[in-house]
Amino acid sequence: MEQNEKWNQSEACAENPELTAAPVTAEENEPLEKNVRLMSPMRMVMRRFFRSKLSIVGLVMLISLFLFCWLGPVVYTRWGETEQDMSGKIEYTMTEITYKNEKGEDVSFYQVIETGKRINSLAKPSSEHLLGTDKDGRDVFTRLMYGGRISLAVSFIAVFAITLFGIVFGGIAGYFGGAVDNVIMRICDILMCLPGFPILLIISTLLDAANVESSSRIYFLMAFLTLFSWPGTARLVRGQILSLREQEYMVAAEAMGYSTSRKIFKHLVPNVMPQLIVSMTLSLGGMILYEASLSYLNMGVRAPFAAWGTMINIVAEDQNILQNFFNIWGPPGLCIVIAVLAFNFVGDGLRDALDPKMRR
Amino acid sequence: MFKYILKRLLLSIFILLGVSLIIYILVRSMPYDFVSNKISALQSNTSLDATAVEKMYEMYGLQDNSFLGILKGYANWLGALCRFDFGKSFVYGDSVLNIIVDKMGVSFAVALIATFFEFLIAIPLGITAATHQYSLRDYVVTILVMVGISLPTFFFGQILKDLFAMKLGWFPPSGLLDASQTLDGIALLGDYLRHMFIPILTVVILSIGGRMRMTRTNMLEVLSSDYIRTARAKGLKEKIVIYKHAFRNTLIPLVTSLAGLLPSLFSGAIITEQVFDLPGIGNVAFKAMMQADIPFIMGYNMFLALLSVVGVLLADLMYAVVDPRVKLS
Repeated sequence: MEQNEKWNQSEACAENPELTAAPVTAEENEPLEKNVRLMSPMRMVMRRFFRSKLSIVGLVMLISLFLFCWLGPVVYTRWGETEQDMSGKIEYTMTEITYKNEKGEDVSFYQVIETGKRINSLAKPSSEHLLGTDKDGRDVFTRLMYGGRISLAVSFIAVFAITLFGIVFGGIAGYFGGAVDNVIMRICDILMCLPGFPILLIISTLLDAANVESSSRIYFLMAFLTLFSWPGTARLVRGQILSLREQEYMVAAEAMGYSTSRKIFKHLVPNVMPQLIVSMTLSLGGMILYEASLSYLNMGVRAPFAAWGTMINIVAEDQNILQNFFNIWGPPGLCIVIAVLAFNFVGDGLRDALDPKMRR
Repeated sequence: MFKYILKRLLLSIFILLGVSLIIYILVRSMPYDFVSNKISALQSNTSLDATAVEKMYEMYGLQDNSFLGILKGYANWLGALCRFDFGKSFVYGDSVLNIIVDKMGVSFAVALIATFFEFLIAIPLGITAATHQYSLRDYVVTILVMVGISLPTFFFGQILKDLFAMKLGWFPPSGLLDASQTLDGIALLGDYLRHMFIPILTVVILSIGGRMRMTRTNMLEVLSSDYIRTARAKGLKEKIVIYKHAFRNTLIPLVTSLAGLLPSLFSGAIITEQVFDLPGIGNVAFKAMMQADIPFIMGYNMFLALLSVVGVLLADLMYAVVDPRVKLS
């Protein structure tokens, strides 16, 4: 509460420079509301956030991506995620063949080969297939939308899980201190020194050995990733709580006889939320890259299912597609860039908006 | 100081023990027949004979699945590790340590050159962005490096490969050596560098962003401090204020992070080496991991853990060396 008032006043001062000269107090003739426009902390954050053009750009990019991925397949139902276009056509290739007959004369004839291609693969972009089809005749545009669903959803789940773990362990470590803190922090030290990507490769091999279905592999991988990645968040929460623990309002909470869990999760954790939200937004971008890299190495989502990384995977094997079919591997890459960039913009904007020391 | 280092070293040993336990448990969770299938598929085309594989199984205690057996396997492996015996790779048929040392060169060269250019480009960019805060220049630089951070390695690497190697034909697309000709001396070195150009370019562009933002934040913090105001009040030229007074203090975290980076120079980059088919340590490790090469997986991961422990330690020590205000306790 104390902090809220401070925020309001300083914001008001920043808005109306003439107010800074005389401190506004309730004892003055006019009522407070007429001199100072009171704003809730939430509104102030929103205001600062929307003042930055980059954060608006990021937000718009994010919203359009989400609409594209979740509403897109509902509106554009022409093709399915794994549906193959079977409308291939018959192709004729004609070659001239020359040979010498018994008399030594050159004889030539034309050989016509009829190839029936049932699958309409590697089609160029057209009204039928907005971005063409891939090697197996699946519609790239449709797969882009379904792939986005997986990539975005998986990253969100992972980041939320990591944050939850971080809050619980960091909160406990920071509040209790002593031996509990020591044990949790040493576990953090160990986990932070684990080589993340190679460990996930091992786990991926384990999943292979256990014959896990290709559609659910990525969830298992992300679950393990969560188990190894919470220490960063836990350290952040712990550090904040260590300093907040000493403040007066915690003494007050103590005096009120609140329970420990109430003190931690109702009084301490909400005050860490601003930093947490920023770190979550920024790590969402990183998580999307992580998921895409796993899928690119064929560890995560595997064909026929689509993920942005999986859709680029093909260029590693096929030089022809790398050189001539940018319409297959370009769009998913651009989608990854847009998503990560958007989260970074929004995260940066939020950091500036949530930092009360920040003045512009 | 001495006491602090001793304490940190003990902690490092404890961390490495923990990491080794986790890695061992993970690797042990591989079903035995899965591993033996993979290995027997390999045996036909490597120099590894059956007795050597048998000895490896013995050493890792792979056949005994009782609790005591697992414990014994772990103790055996750890004992060998302490004697710097990383075991013999199933896939490559050579000692794991030899392979790591052998393949480290390429990864190290790429990482070292890339880091050099990263610092060379990112620091001036960060300083201009900070000294011209909120100007057009700041926005342009910030947005460009943000795009750099957001690019996935494999996607950007493929674009550069497509552009420089396929379309323009300036650089070879993959590998480290031109097999069609025999070169030596300077020409060989030149060929290496030609092959490493695109990978290095990829790594540099992707990593500039982080470094530049770090420089910018530090510079902004330093520029708002009291001694900068004093320097300006003394009437010093802006150039001297920025490059003599502010820049030196901006360097503190940069030098510290450089110490932390040192070990990561040796660890190799799995995805970059994969995209450009560089025979570095990341590429070798990736292939080994796909084929359940247990000795290599365990050895390589322990090597990485050791590097990151050393990195953290070095960064902390460096911090105290560079910045006299920091006291270790």
